[in-house]
Amino acid sequence: MEWYQILAVISAFLCITLLTTKLVNLIKLGLPKELSQPSGSVKDGIVYSFTGAMSPKAKESAYMHMPTYFAGIVYHIGTFTSLFMFPVILLLSDILESLPQIIIYLVAGGLAISAISGAGILIKRLITDKLRYFSSADDYISNFLTTAIQAVTALIIISAIPPVLYYITAAAFFIWLPLGKTKHLLYFFFARIHLGYFYGRRGTWPVSKKN
Amino acid sequence: MRGNEMDIKKPLEILSKKDDSKLETNMNSCVKCGLCAESCMYYLAFKEPQYVPGAKAELVSSIYRRYNTFTGKIAPSLFNAKELDKEMADKMVDMLFGACTMCGRCVKHCSIGVDIPYIVRKGREMLAVMNMVPATLQSTVDAALNTGNNMAIPQEEFVDTIKWMEEELIDEMEDANARIPLDETDKNVFYTLNPREPKFFPLSISAIAKVFYAAGESWTISSKYYDVTNYGFFNGNNDQAAQIAGYLYDEIHKLRGKKLVLGECGHGSRATRWEGPGYLKTKFDFETITAVELIASYIREGKITLDKSLNSTKVTIHDPCNLVRNGGLFNEIRFVVKSAVSDLQEMSPYGEDNFCCGGGGGALAMSEYNERRIKIGAIKAQQIAKSGAKVVITPCHNCVDQLQQLNHTYKLGVKIMTIAEIVADALVINKQ
Repeated sequence: MEWYQILAVISAFLCITLLTTKLVNLIKLGLPKELSQPSGSVKDGIVYSFTGAMSPKAKESAYMHMPTYFAGIVYHIGTFTSLFMFPVILLLSDILESLPQIIIYLVAGGLAISAISGAGILIKRLITDKLRYFSSADDYISNFLTTAIQAVTALIIISAIPPVLYYITAAAFFIWLPLGKTKHLLYFFFARIHLGYFYGRRGTWPVSKKN
Repeated sequence: MRGNEMDIKKPLEILSKKDDSKLETNMNSCVKCGLCAESCMYYLAFKEPQYVPGAKAELVSSIYRRYNTFTGKIAPSLFNAKELDKEMADKMVDMLFGACTMCGRCVKHCSIGVDIPYIVRKGREMLAVMNMVPATLQSTVDAALNTGNNMAIPQEEFVDTIKWMEEELIDEMEDANARIPLDETDKNVFYTLNPREPKFFPLSISAIAKVFYAAGESWTISSKYYDVTNYGFFNGNNDQAAQIAGYLYDEIHKLRGKKLVLGECGHGSRATRWEGPGYLKTKFDFETITAVELIASYIREGKITLDKSLNSTKVTIHDPCNLVRNGGLFNEIRFVVKSAVSDLQEMSPYGEDNFCCGGGGGALAMSEYNERRIKIGAIKAQQIAKSGAKVVITPCHNCVDQLQQLNHTYKLGVKIMTIAEIVADALVINKQ
């Protein structure tokens, strides 16, 4: 392994360790100990929180902001693809090289689109007053690094950049992930569970307009 | 407090508690996408970035990061980790008390699902231990603590009002046995009121009494502890919230009531039914339901008969946030209203998407923010006007009060009624 590959692996290991520690801590802390009499189903509420409540037609943040919503969806698919591609690029480069070129270019093209989406979101933050107002350096750095990892993943798989650039970007991304706001990839799931728990117990979710 | 220095130990303890994972989750989940902006009445009314719900939550989250995270401690400027100082606390008062009704509309529409009112409540808890609750709101809480009701109505005055309403009931029912029972023991229903009822809207008491009369209910009201409201939910002082919740808890035990029925008050219902057991750290050993659910059960069980044609004017429903979005009563409210009226036109949006009246979160009690409260209420006023309804029904006396003010300010020309009032008007009484 080259030094930059070792750096990226150590960063990924630290990232996984920190996120796992947070995950274990959150599980240990558990859900609130409610003493009130429930009028709905917690289980149904949590299921709905991850399904119906996430539907674009259920959220103003989606249906009132369709360009941003779709950019966000593409951006997140690109992020998870980049995470998946890291061990593939590191350990299975022979298999990657043996794949038909069309597949490689399709993946690279998809990642390029997601990186453009990420750049668009970053630009939106830079030029929108209400976002700039409560944005910190972390918001820009997280957005930039997540966009960058998608861009360099797209470029490395078509051999358009030297490996050192890819691995250093990956190392920076992995180091920042559990520290900055990108860590919402873990907290998101707990936020949805808490919402489902809250609204499910009270009978608000799942929404069933009977009358 | 000297200059910008203040005792921050107690407020910071609130952010250090690890009772469950809810605090840590919500302090770390917001991605500051700003897509919650258009879900908030304050932002829609003022179009200023500090009113974005995420920005309000960030006030509390930034303090959390500064004192509870490694990154916030070593590189505060990178992560917007802020110190809790006088300037920050003043800003929190203005934004968390003066610019959020804790309606929760932003939560449902948040791209992540961050519980922003929960964060706002945490911020209010911090301000409460710093004695920074707006004086008007605190005086409302103090009145409840000292007298048993938030309007400090003397017991004699309350009893007189009830007796007056009882006479009205006897006349209307043409039945000398019609009663509004006070302080009676071993009744099925221990009923509670919003003090605005005896103070300003006594006819709503006679309306629910008429419903109980028609249903043949065994019920009572306490002459001392009848207040369903709990502004301790809004001022962020959990000890005071517990003391107020304890009044009803102790009184229902004293009178050996079987069922605590929460009068038409959104936050009061929430604070008693959902938060009350937590404040008192005990499970209630009696059933706790709202007046809406009780009336719905009367209709379903045939205990009362309603004639929709008696309410033929077009009506609309204002959904109180704490009963519908935060209380799950959407279907029950519709069931009762549709049983009592012949022409219902929903607002747009409605149900769990409905906008707050603007008077929630303690806003009605905080005259410091009257101008803001009326301005954000323009959204509700537009919703009502667009519905074309002449009557607005809402099972919440705080909402009634705000809607009355909006009715006057925006010249809506509508009548505001509670559920009990509209049901009472549709009652078919078999006078034997």
